[in-house]
Amino acid sequence: MNTTIIETKEITKLFWSPLSLSKISRLDLKRTKPVKALDQISFKCDKGSTLVVLGPNGAGKTTLLKIISTLVLADKGEVKIAGYKVGKDDEKIKSKIGLASGEERSFYWRLTGRQNLEFFASLYGMDKNEIKSRLEILFKLFKIDYQEKRFDTYSTGMKRRFSLIRALIHDPEILLLDEPTKSLDYNCRQELTKLIKELTMKGKTVILATHDIQEAENLSSLFMILNKGRLCGFGSKEELSKKIGLGATNLAKVYLTLTENV
Amino acid sequence: MSKIISLLKKDFLIETSYKLAFLFNIFGVISSLLIYFFIDKLFGQRISPHLEEFGINYFSYVLLSMAFFSYIGVGIGSFSSRIRAEQIQGTLESLLVTPTKISIILLSMGLWNLIFATIDVFIYISLGVILFNINFTNVNLISTLAVLILTIISFSSLGILSASFIMIFKRGNPVAWIINTLEGLLGGVYFPVKVMPAFLQFLARFLPITYAIRAMQLAVYKGHTVFELKNELLFLFLFSCLLLPLSFTSFSYALKKARLQGSLLQY
Repeated sequence: MNTTIIETKEITKLFWSPLSLSKISRLDLKRTKPVKALDQISFKCDKGSTLVVLGPNGAGKTTLLKIISTLVLADKGEVKIAGYKVGKDDEKIKSKIGLASGEERSFYWRLTGRQNLEFFASLYGMDKNEIKSRLEILFKLFKIDYQEKRFDTYSTGMKRRFSLIRALIHDPEILLLDEPTKSLDYNCRQELTKLIKELTMKGKTVILATHDIQEAENLSSLFMILNKGRLCGFGSKEELSKKIGLGATNLAKVYLTLTENV
Repeated sequence: MSKIISLLKKDFLIETSYKLAFLFNIFGVISSLLIYFFIDKLFGQRISPHLEEFGINYFSYVLLSMAFFSYIGVGIGSFSSRIRAEQIQGTLESLLVTPTKISIILLSMGLWNLIFATIDVFIYISLGVILFNINFTNVNLISTLAVLILTIISFSSLGILSASFIMIFKRGNPVAWIINTLEGLLGGVYFPVKVMPAFLQFLARFLPITYAIRAMQLAVYKGHTVFELKNELLFLFLFSCLLLPLSFTSFSYALKKARLQGSLLQY
């Protein structure tokens, strides 16, 4: 039986621009229209599934991941992770989630790669032995040979790998990946694809945001298509094709048709 | 507890990666002491009558005030500067996505500030004894400790309040600006409050630093007991009781606001 692990109900997120000095000097305190990053997004994701969130730049993919990871609060709507409500049971949710954001500057650059990972692992309540054995596995998996280099000396691709290791270090139930293959070489991409498939086989849930259609098709058969904050489609490639009246077709065509209509 | 140790270890590793900074800190202390030593030589005689109640010369007064001010300064400024550093480094989100309570993060920042300030105080006091032959034999350890604890709590609360502004506005911190400006002028750090005109002395009565500095001078140089310092300690205690919950509430509000604005990574 499928169990819903992530559920969102009509979440809406608005981003307001700050008032400009010229407006304040004219005593015009009326705010400009906000950007609707997400507009009434509702969906359910089952335990052990991989959901690929597709959409062009500014579609709301990163905002959605940040709301699920409790870093950003939605203006309206409700998000439940493993039965816990975001904004209410955040501590419990955080221990179930691993987030690899697209941000490169999310590590302490004066520390080594290993010191960074040991530090973040300890914040998940892991003890020294657990951290050591987990790191050994993950370093091997992501082919990290130089763990003791200062973080600022790593290449962009290597920093990305560290970000993925950090997301996986506490063996979370849910993995949130924001453009995980960006800056990764071909071999590492292949390894990551394999790893994501293995993780879902083990019952882990993965939500992955990307605008790479090829990568999306390789990874999953469940897609969410966002554009300008609106949900344009949710389901398998076949379901989405059917929805827009196309026959058997490729995902790229479905994606283009759905995003062009918004 | 293990999370606090991890956070402190991380701070230690980062701090020691800047090898020259610690050395320059020592030079900074020595040079500022020398400045006040020579000011004392020039004008000390004129200020001495205002220091009769403490039974010391101007240099002894300013040395203790500045040493003690390390605790006050880090209490006020360092929470906001640490939050700001995490925003700029982009690590604030990485910290907040872990199941670590914000109170633990703030507490570890406070402890690290305390360790750092203690090193400064140790340098001040050691130099005072070794180079300038200052006499600390009258110190009343219990009342000194009581003043210290209450001062750290009240000024750390102000520091957390100030960090709340940084969390939302990123730059431009009215709390820190007001406190730093008023402290230096009115608080009696660089000269006793009695030197100032009556209306400024009246204003100084409303500042916790005035009571903290005075109580510390009396506890260290005159050996005053907790009972003798009851007025100063009571004021600091009330100030702590008022500010501590207010600061945590304001920081939680600021954090929620930043999450609503989606601005944790902005700087």
